[in-house]
Amino acid sequence: MSDSVETLPRVPLFSPGRIWVLASSTFTQLVRMRTFYFLIVFAILVAAASNLDLLYTPAQKLRILKDASFGAMSIFSWLFAIAATAVLIPRDLEDRTLYTILSKPVPRLEYLLGKLGGVMLTIGVALVVMQVLFTGFLFFREVTVLASERQYLESQGEMSAADIQVQLDLIRAQGVQWQLLYALVAIFLKASVVAALTMLVSTFASSTLFTMIVSSIVFMVGHFHKLAAGYWLEEFGDSLFTKLIIKPIVMIIPDFRVFNVAENVVGGEPVSAAIMLSLTGLAALYVAVYSAVALYLFIDKEF
Amino acid sequence: MSVPAVEVRNLTKVFPLSLRKEYLVAVEDLSLTVNAGEVYGLIGPNGSGKSTTMKVVLGLMAPTTGSTKVFGIESRDVRSRNQIGFLPENPYFYKHLTAWETLKFYGKLCGMRGKELKDRAGELLALVDLEGARDRRLSGYSKGMLQRIGLAQALIQRPKLVVLDEPTAGVDPIGSRQIRDLIFKLKDDGISVFLCSHLLEQVQEVCDQVGIIANGRMWREGSLHDLIAIEDQTELVLRDASPELLDKIKALIESEAGGCAELIRSGHPRTTLETLFLDIVRESREAQDLKDREKLAAKEAKKQKPSSK
Ligand SMILES: Nc1ncnc2c1ncn2[C@@H]1O[C@H](COP(=O)(O)OP(=O)(O)OP(=O)(O)O)[C@@H](O)[C@H]1O
Ligand SMILES: [Mg+2]
Repeated sequence: MSDSVETLPRVPLFSPGRIWVLASSTFTQLVRMRTFYFLIVFAILVAAASNLDLLYTPAQKLRILKDASFGAMSIFSWLFAIAATAVLIPRDLEDRTLYTILSKPVPRLEYLLGKLGGVMLTIGVALVVMQVLFTGFLFFREVTVLASERQYLESQGEMSAADIQVQLDLIRAQGVQWQLLYALVAIFLKASVVAALTMLVSTFASSTLFTMIVSSIVFMVGHFHKLAAGYWLEEFGDSLFTKLIIKPIVMIIPDFRVFNVAENVVGGEPVSAAIMLSLTGLAALYVAVYSAVALYLFIDKEF
Repeated sequence: MSVPAVEVRNLTKVFPLSLRKEYLVAVEDLSLTVNAGEVYGLIGPNGSGKSTTMKVVLGLMAPTTGSTKVFGIESRDVRSRNQIGFLPENPYFYKHLTAWETLKFYGKLCGMRGKELKDRAGELLALVDLEGARDRRLSGYSKGMLQRIGLAQALIQRPKLVVLDEPTAGVDPIGSRQIRDLIFKLKDDGISVFLCSHLLEQVQEVCDQVGIIANGRMWREGSLHDLIAIEDQTELVLRDASPELLDKIKALIESEAGGCAELIRSGHPRTTLETLFLDIVRESREAQDLKDREKLAAKEAKKQKPSSK
């Protein structure tokens, strides 16, 4: 009687290989949904921004390019995180693909992590492509701006060579810098948290639209609740309202503004590696907690 | 004795209806056993709880009460799924994948890799007659083609139990015949099959055991042979019997003391599964009507009580 249990091949409790299969298939799915067409739009935008010749100083010209690029990357990533994640699981359910996947030896945790991983992979790849694109444009822009500025300053003949060097270094500070990568990482981290949040909502939501709306609202609340909480605490002190409503909200929803590293980078303020490390830790914590709650809701779900 | 492939014990599944505090009993105290190596056919009218039972067996739903086991492992344990291949009703798959990619995807989920997987996928595509459409995306597949790829997907890891929810729905007569032959082949290979279907003729052909359910309850269960035999009649099968011999037998029956035995006809004293099915459905409907009427009467009685106060 008991032999069959032992002779069955064991399913490892947790298999990174299976998660990868699910994540890469999700990646393929998203790519074949033609999401990467956005990259073409992005390329046009960056090209336009880098050829914008308004009455700016050379440093400002570079800055505008960075601003536009990071802005577009950020919007793409969180919009994509919400829209793609909200669509994926309900679609599997509607198509009954979920039945066939879960009737294979796939633990539900792995299914969730696979989907989330696939969305993050897609966002990551898209962000890297965008970063490479815009760094390229920035580099050429920097070279041409520097050349014309040097020519201009030298033709004026009022500055010493050392002074000109100082001026050019100021422009270089707005050019291609390692710090740009920090901005990229921060945008990715923020999108990952948003994706995990959306997945959590989609495990109990009744429709895709509901998921998108709730996630977007939470995302927006995450941009001002720290400010609002400070105000309320000052106004009402430790009232029941702050205790029961404000404090839990501040706890559950991350302060999304901390991920706006791009602003500092564009502004030329140096961002330390320690800050990046703690941001990564924070994002990982939120992704882990959201995934755990999502699993809790998903594990006994019936289809 | 070997462990049964599927063991359903006193399964009840209740769905809460979101409106008011009403419940829908989809499956009620249902027990069945699919022995290893056997083909079991579950038949019943629409909405009788066939798919629900299968989903509980597969761990897609939890039983309200009762238990289900696959090769001795509780359905809620992921390991029970190692040995199962499942074809859901009206299956759809990732539309963006081709047939080939689909099979590879499911194979990888079962831990298959490399050449083993490729060989198996190729073999299955040939088996379900989809080699010509191998590199076409499933978004362009017809219903019957999806059903075929679904069947192939179910078999990818050489499971010991195959659960088929209406395998022939939407498949043309030739395909339906092929699926029947495939089930015979699975049986020859010692694979257990648990299927439900509305094609009673096919069920009659391929199944060893049949369960007939209606309104979530098992009404009749047993080997096909016993189910459709008519119990108070006996069949004599003779080969090359001469008319004289038959006359002698007739005479013998008539001369029997007491004379209560009577020759009705010679031939096949069998009903068809279809007749049996229709009889049981009628029986279950009548039982349900009776229940409903009792319920209604109880409600009326309740209503009248407070008003009489
Ligand atoms: N998720 C669900 N929520 C509520 N009711 C459900 C759910 N799934 C099934 N039911 C109900 O349970 C009953 C049994 O459904 P089931 O799908 O098992 O029937 P079936 O025997 O497979 O029918 P068919 O032959 O049409 O496929 C039906 O009345 C159905 O409405
Ligand atoms: Mg059904």
